[in-house]
Amino acid sequence: MSTPSGRNIGNILVIDLTREKIVKREASPETVKQYLGGRGFNSKALFDMIPGRIDPLSPENVLALASGTLAGTALPMTSRLHISTLSPLSGILGDGNAGGEFSAMLKFAGYEQIIVTGRAEKPKYVFIEDDEVEIRDAEELWGLTTGETVDWLRDEHGDEVSVAGIGPAGENLVRFATTMVDKYHSGARGSGAVWGSKNLKAIAVIGTKGIEPADPERFYKMAKEDIDYFNRNDFVRRIYSVIGTHYGLIQWYPSWKYFQVPLSAEELPIGLRPQDLAEYEVGRTQCFSCPLACKDVYYLPSTGEYGTASEFESIYALGSNNCITDTEEILRMEHMADEYGMDVMTLGDTIALARLLHERGILSDEDVKGVSLEWGDAEGQIQLIEMTAYRKGFGNKLAEGYRNFAKLYGEEALAYCYDVKGVNRGWYEVNFIKGIFTLSHATSTRGADHLRGRSWAYWENDKLMDIEVVRGMLEAGLPDYRKDPVGALIYGERACTLADSLGRCKGSINSWLQAVPLVWKYPVFKGTAMLLTAFTGMEFTEKDVIDATDRIYLTEMAFNVKQGIKKKHYDVKFPPEFAATERAKAQVRRHWELVDEYLERRGCDVETAYPKRETLEGLDIGYVADQIEGKEFPEWDGPVGEVA
Amino acid sequence: MFVLAVIYENCTGCHLCELACSFKHHGVFDLSLSRITILTKPEVQTSVQVYCLQCRDAACERVCPMDAISRDRNGAYIINYDRCIGCRECAYACPFGAISFEVEARPIKCDLCGGEPECVAVCPHDAIVYMEEKKAARELKKAKAAGVAYGLYGGKETSEHPRKKAEEAVEYLMKLVEKSGELDV
Ligand code: SF4
Ligand code: SF4
Ligand code: SF4
Repeated sequence: MSTPSGRNIGNILVIDLTREKIVKREASPETVKQYLGGRGFNSKALFDMIPGRIDPLSPENVLALASGTLAGTALPMTSRLHISTLSPLSGILGDGNAGGEFSAMLKFAGYEQIIVTGRAEKPKYVFIEDDEVEIRDAEELWGLTTGETVDWLRDEHGDEVSVAGIGPAGENLVRFATTMVDKYHSGARGSGAVWGSKNLKAIAVIGTKGIEPADPERFYKMAKEDIDYFNRNDFVRRIYSVIGTHYGLIQWYPSWKYFQVPLSAEELPIGLRPQDLAEYEVGRTQCFSCPLACKDVYYLPSTGEYGTASEFESIYALGSNNCITDTEEILRMEHMADEYGMDVMTLGDTIALARLLHERGILSDEDVKGVSLEWGDAEGQIQLIEMTAYRKGFGNKLAEGYRNFAKLYGEEALAYCYDVKGVNRGWYEVNFIKGIFTLSHATSTRGADHLRGRSWAYWENDKLMDIEVVRGMLEAGLPDYRKDPVGALIYGERACTLADSLGRCKGSINSWLQAVPLVWKYPVFKGTAMLLTAFTGMEFTEKDVIDATDRIYLTEMAFNVKQGIKKKHYDVKFPPEFAATERAKAQVRRHWELVDEYLERRGCDVETAYPKRETLEGLDIGYVADQIEGKEFPEWDGPVGEVA
Repeated sequence: MFVLAVIYENCTGCHLCELACSFKHHGVFDLSLSRITILTKPEVQTSVQVYCLQCRDAACERVCPMDAISRDRNGAYIINYDRCIGCRECAYACPFGAISFEVEARPIKCDLCGGEPECVAVCPHDAIVYMEEKKAARELKKAKAAGVAYGLYGGKETSEHPRKKAEEAVEYLMKLVEKSGELDV
């Protein structure tokens, strides 16, 4: 049998835009063993390259894009592109992953990771075709929407090209601009503005080489079993593949009117139900190699446009949280956000916050002249979205993003800002799911987040999908969240770190079954260890896999320490009215108990929240301790620097 | 007689079939070495499968100057590489672009995997089926009928079919949630 390109781990591409220099280097086996790939590679690169607090929009910032270790293979749903940077939204680690085909294409072209530094004089794009890498002029592309950009690059380089890049919001340095992949897939936390600050419009890649696992037969056998599992699973076939994350609308209590009411299935207004959204559906799609097809393709009769992936988050953030229930208008806004390249959650939450602040008189009529902040005004919101993308008028303020936006209006406004470390995610009572939910937002290394350690998932969603798997995981030593919430969270964080590093999706199912390959067969990380061994040819034990995830997590914590994150930033936010109650005060006490226990068990100093040297050395990353031990960093208060 | 039939309407463009095909024949994951190719129409994100139809009167077989192409007992046209001179005529003649010649002028095409097509084994959405001819024809008709309702043809603006499927999904989910109260570990 012919094996035209026998390899499995690709090279690292370092692109210095200031000097227009491109360097290729090998990913060392030690780095693969220690940091796996994907998010692990990116977090290490950022830790190594960014010394301390800098302006995220300065040329010194680093933009890292990495395919997961197993991207491009037949292991299902394993083709997420991980994008990491010092976030212009939060001023700490900002990363996210996007679907589409870029990650697989990059891997087929022979690369594991792209690291971009510096700033180009004029707009540029990078074109990669296997070994050829070129920095090209993008003046014609500057100003185009993400859809137009992809079309332009497909015209230029052919339909098989896959594109990561930005729309107008990224160019205009909107702090929650996203990296958009193949038009519709977005990776959040402000990386889009970093592309914009570097004058980099897009990276287009064509990869035509193959990927060959070290032990092909063994690897494929396991991958195929995993495909089979999802193909046969009733829950996947009858729910996820039909309504995708819309199932969350009747399961996850989308919030109404800036987090004032969590809507139960019975309260969900007409217009926001999965079946209402399905009326606009003309097909289903997915990221490369995913059997789920969790994304809808929708058609908007009023504008004649097609869009995809109107997920739970876009519906609640742009819709219910702003009291908007018109299905088509919400889809239109979602599509606009994609075209401009903005994160729908920060966009929707920031607009909802503005409405609330205006209602409470914290924002004066003078502040919001010329725009409508009535709850439920869809037309007004469409206008706000455009103004934000172009930083026009009041949009220039919204473009600062959630906490930075509130900061413009002082302490009174910040009191309604439910963020952790600068990232929005609403508020929840601590006694909800034994404290794990709020704790997971507090400990997330990229700020408040629902995907960083979704340890509650193995109960709620796994139970619906496959109860036997939950039993297996508990038997294999996974802590039961009812008895040991902190232990369960740490396992959840490991699972999600692992998924992000392999390139595996952890989104639509909201379940361990999706995030950890083969967990239905070999709990908990044993299947992953076997896959990594067969793929790389290096021996991975279950302990190696767990250690790698801890190494990545602690490196990220140390990165944030250098950005001025202290223990106090692990706090939990409540609306001022609730915060004053005894019930809330008791919950805050409980939260800090959980935080202390968490830090202790993570091997961090309970007073400072710094990872301890002995913990880092135990994971063979003493170099991380060298950079933080005994050092004081100026306290974090959002990103450094101003946008004119 | 079994046929490998595709149902375009069901294909979501996941590329798993291509990965499985290239692996089965070459031991690598490589889209250019797959005998089946997925083309996605970017603006509407609908995908079609391009692959060998094992024609009754096959152009590839007819043009081959070396008589290197012949039918096996599964009905698959197979290239005999001992005879093949790598002229690529078969690829040019095939009306469907089903023959690739990516590696050293070696034509590659679908061989039905000896009667157990790997693409069918992995396809999540029954977009490729390997069935007795009559049954396949019936499946195809059903899919087309659903496609009309789906609004795929004739520019229908909104559609009833996904709505109905979504309603069923919601109903099923509610039932599961209700039942899950009783599940314990
Ligand atoms: S290769 Fe083309 S011409 Fe030959 S049998 Fe297949 S589809 Fe027909
Ligand atoms: S490439 Fe080989 S199989 Fe195809 S027509 Fe030429 S000789 Fe025949
Ligand atoms: S596996 Fe099935 S759904 Fe996926 S691309 Fe191939 S034919 Fe389409």
